[in-house]
Amino acid sequence: MSSVLNAADLLHFVASRIEVGILAVDREMRIVVWNRFLEAHSGQSAKDVVGRLLFDAFPELPRAWLERKIKGVIVLKNFAFTSWRQRPYLFKFRHHRPITGGIDVMRQDCTFLPVMGADGEVSAVCITILDATETCLYQKKLEDALAIIAEQSVRDPLTGVYNRRKLDEQLRSEVSRAARYERPLSLIMLDIDHFKRVNDGFGHPGGDEVIRHVAKLVSACVRDSDAVGRYGGEEFVIILPEVPAAGALVVAERIRACVAASPVIFKQTSIAVTVSLGVAENGKSSRSPETLLGEADEALYASKENGRNRVTLRQPARQTPRDATSGSEC
Amino acid sequence: MTLEILNADQKDALQEISNIAMGTAAAGLAKVLESFVRLSVPRITIVETSRIADRLAASLPPHREVSAVRQAFYGPVEGEVVVVFGEDGCNELADLLAHDGDAGAVKEELLLDVSNILIGACINGIAHQLATELSFSPPEILCTAVPLEQVFAGHQPTCEQALLIEIDFSMEARSFACHMLTFLAPDSFGELRSSLSRFLESI
Repeated sequence: MSSVLNAADLLHFVASRIEVGILAVDREMRIVVWNRFLEAHSGQSAKDVVGRLLFDAFPELPRAWLERKIKGVIVLKNFAFTSWRQRPYLFKFRHHRPITGGIDVMRQDCTFLPVMGADGEVSAVCITILDATETCLYQKKLEDALAIIAEQSVRDPLTGVYNRRKLDEQLRSEVSRAARYERPLSLIMLDIDHFKRVNDGFGHPGGDEVIRHVAKLVSACVRDSDAVGRYGGEEFVIILPEVPAAGALVVAERIRACVAASPVIFKQTSIAVTVSLGVAENGKSSRSPETLLGEADEALYASKENGRNRVTLRQPARQTPRDATSGSEC
Repeated sequence: MTLEILNADQKDALQEISNIAMGTAAAGLAKVLESFVRLSVPRITIVETSRIADRLAASLPPHREVSAVRQAFYGPVEGEVVVVFGEDGCNELADLLAHDGDAGAVKEELLLDVSNILIGACINGIAHQLATELSFSPPEILCTAVPLEQVFAGHQPTCEQALLIEIDFSMEARSFACHMLTFLAPDSFGELRSSLSRFLESI
């Protein structure tokens, strides 16, 4: 039995037809091999480029870097690699996936192989180019999905402000930061007045609309560096880093006035909404997050007791909340 | 009682071979990185894989973050090498070698390149002395800027012992250590021992 094909021809056939880019350059950077994959993607035939200097044929290549890479293979007689993760591509090829979109140029993983000559030196460097676009697309999908999950895990689905978990975490880190650098830190706790009446009168959809509305107004009243979160049903907490009590009182009063002046429109009905707020400052003797929350809650309770739609500051220095009650009597 | 991968003679031979390999590596690195490079004589020890973090912690300054690169090699002897760089070392390297582009990607690429060169020089050098030839997988980033004890988090080595090859690496006036951990597949211990024995007989 004799084989019609000889192994060398077969290997040549495979190297030229395989769905992998194969090119080789000699020590002077002259192109020696340019396979079908490269012809198809570059639009340059082997006839046109073999024998030419790599950087003459492809002046857009990152010359300084690539020369160093190839020189490294020649000097060290060792493999070298590039990954699309750090360097998206070597040759700017289109990836022929018009419908997957998002990625413009074919992502490439490259391997640089030293081709040893009879003299024991590297006579050529062979570069294989693998299309990694598919992997890259999956990676991108995965990253996008993880980013969405990460975002969702910290947000309250109804209002889009931080959820309780994120709020607790943020409060812990802000309290310890404030203590470490001896910086001011204030906390506002807010509760929607007579929320039960809204729910009773307009049903849960009406209640939800009111909660969303208040969350939006609160978010609009604070700085980017402040953290707004939904603490419970109709309760919100605002963390104000770098803000002493006086500043927090101004913010709380602004929120109070803003909510009182903007009724919610629900099914063509206007619902008047007010909120009660309690303010606590971390102060000189640093508190635990729980203590600070407790103090803001106490001040909030005082606002409720004193007629709602008002702001109360919990004095850090053993003053009774009553001393600092402010607010409108409207 | 610990089961020794290598006896004293074989360990000496491996030390000798690594010394030669590192000498070649330093010369090559200097040419490629266009910078004066000094590599110390590698310190070779065999460590229990469960104690690798402790062992590395002893030679790195405390509370330091590290980055690590992994690369597999295969052939008659198979295994994987992990190169651990102190985070300061990575930044120094990036400072010295980065030329263009986005700093994060450039730093990772440099780590991969330098690891590939070190691993290639060391492992190829050893393979060459032992008259065998190996292939390499592309290097991958194992982790960047994590506390030392997290390097192998979720990547439990399958073998109980590893060859720890520690090299001090200095460039220009700055010096930093990097640590090469060579995990040999358990099947490869026998081949390594017989290669080293053949080498010992040939000299």
